[in-house]
Amino acid sequence: MPEDLLRILVAAAVCWANFMAFDLFWKLPLEGGVSGATAIAHEVERKGGALHGGFMMGNIVSSPDASAGTLLAACGVFIAGIPGGLLAAMCVYVGNRICHDPGYAGTTGCIAATFIIYGLCQVGFVATDFIAGMVIAILTIQGVSAVHASRLIERLWKWRS
Amino acid sequence: MNEVVTAGCALLVLFGTTLTICERNAFDKLISLSVLVAGVIPFIVARGYLDIATATALIAPLSTIFTLMVLFRRQER
Amino acid sequence: MSPDELAVTICIVIAVYSAVRIALERNTLKKLPFLNVVSFAVTGVIAIILPHPLTILAAAAYFVGSTLESNAIASTIAGGPEEKDE
Repeated sequence: MPEDLLRILVAAAVCWANFMAFDLFWKLPLEGGVSGATAIAHEVERKGGALHGGFMMGNIVSSPDASAGTLLAACGVFIAGIPGGLLAAMCVYVGNRICHDPGYAGTTGCIAATFIIYGLCQVGFVATDFIAGMVIAILTIQGVSAVHASRLIERLWKWRS
Repeated sequence: MNEVVTAGCALLVLFGTTLTICERNAFDKLISLSVLVAGVIPFIVARGYLDIATATALIAPLSTIFTLMVLFRRQER
Repeated sequence: MSPDELAVTICIVIAVYSAVRIALERNTLKKLPFLNVVSFAVTGVIAIILPHPLTILAAAAYFVGSTLESNAIASTIAGGPEEKDE
């Protein structure tokens, strides 16, 4: 039981690093993709958060980005191995197109997460660890405190640009 | 599907129903309704009806979008 | 408790926590990130409780539908659906 919890926490750190790296690489915190994302960003800023962090939170809410790609890749690898992950990447691409998004962040994040998760499953991890880990990772961004999360994303975004 | 998951999904359905009744703003009612749908879908999947779960998951957002069109028209007037 | 059961328990606990946060939050736009956490957690629950190839499609359909719903609600609050229709 304690080693299961430890594995889930390590998997959460891996998923967090993966989706944050892809979102920052494809410049999600730069601006809101749709008008709803911009509205959420201004709401977060009005409550004391940072603007670019708010843009990224709005983009995560309003189209499937690398975090959704990581979660669906974990589900796909848990069910069907590498082919399942690639099928999930195709679903993420279709979902991105439905939501008026180019879809680079979600698709590349999903394919990279498929191979990372499959590789880590060979050395002792279980695929369900990554599903629970991704849910914990998205909880730390969206679900605990919008002000602190947006300031953290802002700091990472300044470091990248 | 163990007891914890059953209890959790039942809690989601109860929260969604209560909030849909109690909220005053129409947008809040729609958000609560999607919490209700989120609680219902695991029950359908646990029985093995994957096609019905997919159809429900696609129909619920579509009906929300049509409701939003009506709401927007009323806001304009 | 097996690893599967532990993971599904974590997912459902996080979903219920986010539903409570939705009930307590008064601002409509700030409810949407918590709704996003609920749909992440429920997608994980769907995938864990029935491992079957079609489940990937069902989970992806649920997640994309829920995202589209949040997108439509946020865009309508921000100023109407004419920007997102093409």
